[in-house]
Amino acid sequence: MTGIEIYKYLPKTNCKKCGFPTCLAFAMKVAQKQAEISLCPELSPESRQFLEEASRPPIKLVSIGRDKKIETGNETVLFRHEKTFYHQPGLVIRIKDTESPGDAARRIREVSSYSVQRVGLDLTLDGFALDNESGNPASFLRLVETAVNNTDMPLVLMSPDTATMKLALDKTAQNRPLIYSATRDNWQDMAQLALDYHCPLAVSERESPGNLAELTERVIQMGVEDIITDPGADSFGNSVDLLTQLRRLAINKRCRPLGYPSITFPGDHASGPEDEALLAAQQIAKYAGIIVLDHFYPGIVYPLLTLRLNIYTDPQKPVKVAAGIYPINDPGNSDPLLVTTDFSLTYFSVAGEIQSCGFPSWLLICDTGGLSVLTAWAAGKFNAREIAKTAKQFGVNDYVNHNALVIPGYVAVIKGALEEEMAGWKILVGPREAMDIGNYLKRTWRENVL
Amino acid sequence: MTPLQIPVEKWAGKVTEVKLGGNGRKDITIGGENTLPFLHFEGTFPHQPALAIEIQDMEPDWPADLLLSWGDAVKDPGQWARKAAEYGADIVALRLRSAHPEVENSGAEKAKRTVASVLEAVDLPLIVLGPEVAEKDNEVLLAVSEIGRGQRLALGNCTDKNYRAIAASCLANEHVAIAKAPTDVNLSKQLNMLLHEAGLPMSSVLTDPTTGALGYGLEYTYSVVERLRLSCLSGDEMTSTPIICTVGEESWKQKESRSSQDIPESWGAQERRAIIWESITSAILATAGADIVVLRHPRSVELIKEMNGKWLSMT
Amino acid sequence: MKEENINCRVEFHPQGKSAAVPPGTTILDAAIKAGIAIDAPCGGQGRCGRCLVRVEKGTVTHNDSSYLNSEQIQQGWALSCEAIVASDLAIFVPDSRERIGLGDKITSRKAAAPPHLDWPLTSPVSRLPLTLSPPDLQDNAADLDRLRAAMAAGYQMENFSISLPLLRRLSRNLRKEKWQLTLSLDTRSREGEPRLIDIRSGHKEQPLLGVALDIGTTSVAASLVDLNSGRLISQASSLNKQRACGEDVISRIIYSERSGGIKDLNRLVIQTINDLLGELTALPVSPGGKGKIKATDINYMVVAGNTTMTHLLLSLPATHIRQEPYVPTATHFPMVSAGALGIKINPEASIYCFPAIAAYVGGDITAGTLSSRLFQNDELSLFLDIGTNGEIVLGNSDWMVSCACSAGPAFEGAGVNCGMPAIRGAIEDVIINSRTLEPTVKVIDDVLPQGICGSGMIAVLAEMLSTGVIDKSGNIIHEDKRNSLIRTGEHGKEYVICRAADSAGGKDIAINEADIDNIIRTKAAIYAGVMVLLKQVGISVTDIERVLIGGAFGQHINVESAIKIGLLPDLPWERFHFLGNTSLSGAYNALLSPEAQEMAEKLTQQITYVELIADSSFMSEFTAASFLPHTDPDNFPSLKAKNRRA
Repeated sequence: MTGIEIYKYLPKTNCKKCGFPTCLAFAMKVAQKQAEISLCPELSPESRQFLEEASRPPIKLVSIGRDKKIETGNETVLFRHEKTFYHQPGLVIRIKDTESPGDAARRIREVSSYSVQRVGLDLTLDGFALDNESGNPASFLRLVETAVNNTDMPLVLMSPDTATMKLALDKTAQNRPLIYSATRDNWQDMAQLALDYHCPLAVSERESPGNLAELTERVIQMGVEDIITDPGADSFGNSVDLLTQLRRLAINKRCRPLGYPSITFPGDHASGPEDEALLAAQQIAKYAGIIVLDHFYPGIVYPLLTLRLNIYTDPQKPVKVAAGIYPINDPGNSDPLLVTTDFSLTYFSVAGEIQSCGFPSWLLICDTGGLSVLTAWAAGKFNAREIAKTAKQFGVNDYVNHNALVIPGYVAVIKGALEEEMAGWKILVGPREAMDIGNYLKRTWRENVL
Repeated sequence: MTPLQIPVEKWAGKVTEVKLGGNGRKDITIGGENTLPFLHFEGTFPHQPALAIEIQDMEPDWPADLLLSWGDAVKDPGQWARKAAEYGADIVALRLRSAHPEVENSGAEKAKRTVASVLEAVDLPLIVLGPEVAEKDNEVLLAVSEIGRGQRLALGNCTDKNYRAIAASCLANEHVAIAKAPTDVNLSKQLNMLLHEAGLPMSSVLTDPTTGALGYGLEYTYSVVERLRLSCLSGDEMTSTPIICTVGEESWKQKESRSSQDIPESWGAQERRAIIWESITSAILATAGADIVVLRHPRSVELIKEMNGKWLSMT
Repeated sequence: MKEENINCRVEFHPQGKSAAVPPGTTILDAAIKAGIAIDAPCGGQGRCGRCLVRVEKGTVTHNDSSYLNSEQIQQGWALSCEAIVASDLAIFVPDSRERIGLGDKITSRKAAAPPHLDWPLTSPVSRLPLTLSPPDLQDNAADLDRLRAAMAAGYQMENFSISLPLLRRLSRNLRKEKWQLTLSLDTRSREGEPRLIDIRSGHKEQPLLGVALDIGTTSVAASLVDLNSGRLISQASSLNKQRACGEDVISRIIYSERSGGIKDLNRLVIQTINDLLGELTALPVSPGGKGKIKATDINYMVVAGNTTMTHLLLSLPATHIRQEPYVPTATHFPMVSAGALGIKINPEASIYCFPAIAAYVGGDITAGTLSSRLFQNDELSLFLDIGTNGEIVLGNSDWMVSCACSAGPAFEGAGVNCGMPAIRGAIEDVIINSRTLEPTVKVIDDVLPQGICGSGMIAVLAEMLSTGVIDKSGNIIHEDKRNSLIRTGEHGKEYVICRAADSAGGKDIAINEADIDNIIRTKAAIYAGVMVLLKQVGISVTDIERVLIGGAFGQHINVESAIKIGLLPDLPWERFHFLGNTSLSGAYNALLSPEAQEMAEKLTQQITYVELIADSSFMSEFTAASFLPHTDPDNFPSLKAKNRRA
């Protein structure tokens, strides 16, 4: 709904009780999903019900696990530029009960403790899919026990056998594992387990989205609320097709039985870990809710976690990196010092160029609220005063001994003012484009400073 | 319950077909799809996404692992091109790095010689990229344009500042212009409109949206490519040009692809990581709509080829 | 067949010349053949409308021309460059003045009508004659008590406030003319009781005057008004002397941050105002009348200015207006007396400053909205004030939103090499001959040109685009080496709008690529602002039923050119209305009507302000609009249609 459409239902009194200056301002915030309709205390019950219904997300938010959780769903668009993607898909590692208990325990511990730092965030995997591959209840229970003893991460319990599932739930239900899965053969029993143990339930129906919707509808009828769908997205040949169909049905057609996140298995037909990783990557972008990986290699998981971070970045917010001094290529105190803004794309292109040219350097980043060089300069956030302030704040003198600072070529005009602000410093005008930095450093910088 | 209707979009537009090569040289046609990538139920993909392998006109300053995979071939553009063909390149992408004013500042003559030797060495379609300094690009690309006449080389890059000369020479010598704008759907479209006004048909234009590697602005490129493709499918001819992404170049710039020492254990094994870095960047941009990816590592080429084979055969 | 049979005879009046031409010839070519010079500055491309003639006898075929409506065609008007001879003809060639009048139908010079009062007139100041009984020993109450008693008896008005300076003069004034007095009372005082602002001896009839003032960043305009009748006595405007401290509000704020900066800026604007007042009062009270106006007869003043201008008028710190999150000291301002500000009218006179909506949507826009009456109309209207910045109000009687575009002052002449405000000597219209690329310019007040103002910039951009001098990105691409009008000057590539010999300064007036970039950015900021505002409320451009254009700039703008460069949305021309200086006319209304003044206060509560910087789509809209006319030609269907015809 647009701001004006919502406004029609509001009292139009501009009473400010919602915290916004006018009813229209409030309506526009609601339309952008930046405010809850419930903030308006003067709404009639009918209007409230209508507006709440209309603003309900077309894909349900489903959570798995208790202390550590996977929260997935709540998506509202097909393309991230239209708004943003809200909840990152859970990345879980599949452990089969055919593995030796020792191997399984080791892998579970390894995955649980895996964490990689990126842009100040700790990126981790999200859980395990325990697979009753053997068909043997005892092996499965042993695996479940191993998991319970070695990790507090969310679990997906994979067994077609309802009796086995019940036993596994007895051990794990308090942690709300995902039950995988209800099929056309066992849906009543599985749904009953989901209800009895208050756990989320996956519904597998790989024949067609239509059949999947039917089966999900039955499970909903039984009273299950937290559902994950499994349309069988397991190859490059069908994954984008199926997941696009589901997402379009949920968002554009408001098809409630399909308004749930989906689980995928990119390893099922993969030729190897790389092939699996590429499909997983695609499913991160196109539209998986939980991705089950067969392999765990840090060299592959790190890129996947990075991708997930990228795709789920809110495109409507300028992405900033923290202000400060960044060492690149292990610089010493006679190495160059460059300055630029904190807009992530600016930072990445400058840092990337320095990185790739191999020249050790210091990069000073100014807080401009995430603006590019020219925009920040125009907004008065990347001028001589601000740069001098930042240089002082982060103590540039502690890092370099040459008192020379390279500014972006686009702001050559501030050279004079900056030399005034930073007495004793030599201000050098660098290239306009990041891609010329490498050559600039290799040639011009040395000549200028040495 | 009424049977579920699978929602199929009726797109008004399709990607313009662009032919590279020909006139005695192997040719390849790119584009032509009339739906979003991978959507088999909605449209057709008359041509598969193309893989270009990047070579340079001088020994590159690449990381050791990457150089190792090419051996001595990097010393000679012709030999390198042949090896790229062996590794399964659909297109050879030659970067004239030595023409950069701060590298060797080589000029038209060297560019012509190099291009001639590559054309001689392989019969694949050729992309020729300048050093990305507008005046130098003009100098070397206009020179190159004359020697490969009629063979529909893709010449890059032209920008909103230097497009007229390159457009004119593409028109005169039957080549394809690569239009590069900085990561913005509007700027890419504007450049196409300028080229169009200058008389170049859209069937002689490729769009380079400026690539950000995984972890280094990939999400921007991803959304720009997706928006360009959506705009094309909604019927806008000015965004219908096939999209080319210089994945290898961007990906191998990053420390995740270069560093093998002093890195956290959680980064995993260097070579696997570097190749996956390049391949994921490539796969994800193909998912958004890239029609040509330019890669550097033979193993990435292999992985992307496998992926393309699978999705096109629906397995 | 003989030649005479196929040729048509075209006679031209009043010249009395004729020519025989084959059917299919344009009237313009026939005129050339007949030896008559019809002015066609665009080179016969049907763009300038200057070659208008009237067909008195015979038939011509019209091209669909955007210049003529069916009524005009009915009346026989034809564009001689486009109309095709289809029979023998008698053609009337009007003199150029008359033609310009017609060809200019879409410019809005005439819109600068005197302000209109939309509200019931009640003077803010009452003038009351009063006669007091002189004191004696029986009744020796204080003068002030005597005055109060008399006011109570005569006007049921015992409670009023009086300032110390007036009180000091009370006893003298009482006794000067035998206890006869004339009092001026400010009845809109916020203190709840009227305020005595003048005491004069005697019962002499004297004018009761007020001033409405628009303080713009670039120029300041004032209207002197008779408060009793509402009659406009005179109007004057001049450049804001603060321009010496920077051309836009941002540079003024930066200046104000220097030591003594606010003081300097305040002094400069007060000087500007006092000079204007001097100009206004130099005139006789009524046309042909004798009595000279006394500044002390001005008893009330209403000021509309943007938030920064109002801050600087009141010497309020403006620093935080510039810095995120853009907080002004006040949006609603206290009443001040003229004396306190050093404004040379009755020092006791109240000065009412229009309340602002936000840091960058100021009292000038509140006044403009008041004057536009957008809030009284069910039709969805877009009110645009294009001046040193661009401000937008969108809405109707049900709702209103507003925003400010950081458009920058290019249209006021700043940041453009040859730019100047729209004053005497500014080029306000340009037509370029598509064959010779020779420009024809129209200059404000028909003097030698000094530079180019906003409307001229819009025109020259539109013309350069039409004639292929620039591409859609604003690059100068025409590369005719022989043509001295396009060349590389000290600022890079440029196009000469006026040669040195024809200019006031004896120098070429030229526009370069950086200027063009600047103008494109300015127009893009305004257009993008409109688009984002529309998107925020969820309506489309075509839903806009009226476009109301205000601001000093709104008097000269050419809609066709403005659409051609993508400054204004592509809507049918009849939806555009030029309101002239809405800030000034809003001030005029508030001066004369307390209801209007109250409405202004209410408006600031009713208008929802949208911060464009907080809207993530602004940059994208801005980039899309930084093209000529726009990256998405679907937004400009009329231009697309025209291109198809061409």
